[in-house]
Amino acid sequence: MRSVDLRKALERIKRSIWVFHLNTGSCNGCDIEILDALTPYFDVERFGIKLVGSPRHADVALLTGPITLRALPKVVRALEAMPRPRLVLAIGACAVGGGIWFDSYTLLGGFPRLLRVLKSAGIEIDGVVYVPGCPARPEAIIYGVCVLLGVVKPKVSRRAVEAPIQLEVTQAGEVRSVPMHREGGADTRT
Amino acid sequence: MSFLKVLAVAAKRGRATIRYPLEPPLVTPFFRGKISVDPSKCIGCGACARICPPRAIELVREDNRFVLRYFIGRCIFCGMCADTCPQQAIEVSHEFELATPRLEDLYEEVIHRPATCSVCGEPYLPRKLVEKAIESSGMEVARERLEMCPQCRRISTAQVIASSRLRFGSDLLEAGEVEERRS
Repeated sequence: MRSVDLRKALERIKRSIWVFHLNTGSCNGCDIEILDALTPYFDVERFGIKLVGSPRHADVALLTGPITLRALPKVVRALEAMPRPRLVLAIGACAVGGGIWFDSYTLLGGFPRLLRVLKSAGIEIDGVVYVPGCPARPEAIIYGVCVLLGVVKPKVSRRAVEAPIQLEVTQAGEVRSVPMHREGGADTRT
Repeated sequence: MSFLKVLAVAAKRGRATIRYPLEPPLVTPFFRGKISVDPSKCIGCGACARICPPRAIELVREDNRFVLRYFIGRCIFCGMCADTCPQQAIEVSHEFELATPRLEDLYEEVIHRPATCSVCGEPYLPRKLVEKAIESSGMEVARERLEMCPQCRRISTAQVIASSRLRFGSDLLEAGEVEERRS
């Protein structure tokens, strides 16, 4: 099995995407939001997104839940059954990072850890989009699909900011930090 | 011809579907989305990291700095960090469009400069937290003790006690305390 470039894989999808709902031990919060996205109020079928009953018919797996060990063999089988390109939308805090169960012994704790299992099993995933939220809003799921299909660019990016320290020179000539409650110290340096 | 009645009802009701990706989403004022940490207000006390139910916020020491790391992917958007922050540095935004194909995009970090121990030189707390502790103690004399790491502070305290016992040993002997401790 050769690896498939995501861009090429997406180009191959000319038709509307069909989704398969894959619950891996979720609390059903995200599942209800997925169903909500399918209701006439959000109506993802206007984009041609259709819920199908078999992973063999699906382009995208809507994966919810922290992947419990009980569900793991079934999850692997369901993802294996999907045709290439195999796309996954990891929905909710549990599927992305394990959520509040992240360190439990009964589960893998998120899709990134499942990816390792799939890799060792020789199952390749061609595209993943992580949709945080607890539960993820229907709008967030629609946005995730848009990101997956390359319609919009993701808004978030890794940020690292240094906390500035305000320093001032005291009358004695010492350099010290400005007291927190006083706003705008005499000599402000960061 | 009953479906014609439905058409009439539908025409009266109008369109129910929202145009979401093409129009702004409905977000109520109480909606809780991604948190944002104000790096100028944050002192790196780690109160948010302790209260966070899924440990989405962590305060870790990395090399020679303290990093307050926020992993959006694990966040359950409860807002407890914003409630508990003593500096009101955390604000809950309405941002929920956080989907991304790269997991590392979901990390946000506030990097704190460390306070190094005046005795052993080991970084032990974020600098701003030490300054805040000195400030809230109201005693500039506390600086000398707070600028020591916990281990050196213990040793220093023990030394002070030891020296004071030598000095006031006779007084304590009268009180019988030294006798008790030695036995």
